[in-house]
Amino acid sequence: MSDAPDLNRLLAGSPFALYLAIEATVDAVGVLATLPARDSLVGNVSLPALHGGAIAAFLEIACLLQIAHETGTAIPARTIDFSVEYLWPARPEATFARARIRRLGRRVATVHAEAWQRDVNAPVCLAQCHLRLPSRVTGAATGTGTVTG
Amino acid sequence: MTGDRTKATTEGAASAMLDAVAGWPAEKMASLMVESTPYSVALGFRYVSSSPGFGSIMLPWRADLVGLDGTDILASGAVTALIDHTCGLAIMAYFGTRAAPATLDLRVDHMRPAAAGASVIASAHCYKVTRSIAFLRAEAWDVSRDDPVATAQAAFTLNRRETR
Repeated sequence: MSDAPDLNRLLAGSPFALYLAIEATVDAVGVLATLPARDSLVGNVSLPALHGGAIAAFLEIACLLQIAHETGTAIPARTIDFSVEYLWPARPEATFARARIRRLGRRVATVHAEAWQRDVNAPVCLAQCHLRLPSRVTGAATGTGTVTG
Repeated sequence: MTGDRTKATTEGAASAMLDAVAGWPAEKMASLMVESTPYSVALGFRYVSSSPGFGSIMLPWRADLVGLDGTDILASGAVTALIDHTCGLAIMAYFGTRAAPATLDLRVDHMRPAAAGASVIASAHCYKVTRSIAFLRAEAWDVSRDDPVATAQAAFTLNRRETR
């Protein structure tokens, strides 16, 4: 945990993450990512609701941050595929996300993530993705968050 | 109470807007969807074309949409938004104001990174419509449609409006 990279430095290395103004903190559970609300993120003005594409990008970045945090590498993983389900319209207010690594292989990781707003138990959006791990962590990852079986 | 009134006002405004555009062809509604949605405007989406069940949108390259400093490659998250919006466009071009589509699920496969400094175009095709659901396939490419940067599959709820 002590050699985990500084997440804010990672975010600063991604112009698009900066554009979305994503913030990240680490607690006992893992990485907590925040997407502050902004008028320009709205995808439906009559509801109103945040654009699904903004939530999807936010969840993808939450997955990448969790991988960086758990594998202790600042080299970002690459997204192989990304699958997202929308449960409820996301109101134009702060959105939070956590990702959980379900499998950490040598080359590929399977990561699930969810986003919520006021109620952590009422997610607005779920995502799962496969990430190609940077070759430097290959074999060195301990996989503290992996689930066996 | 206040919340209810706000909601009623918003619905009233939305329905007035719908009445105003009721006579518009679906294609005009479709291009409006690209040119007026805040997130679409913010990312700089440009309407390319549409016909019933089909849509194309371009994401012009921009430095602040790059995924990783020093690569000049558009972020995969920006391409995901482009694909999602293009799917909505294909449905809009089919239904116009008769539906208010919302994404149920979307899966994007990233074949390869886009070329450095390259813009990306997405095209979506709505290949099946039921009473309540639309099924779509989409792809995004930079240089040639035959060599996509991403392919996608999506399902949308249509939220059809009752015809009066």
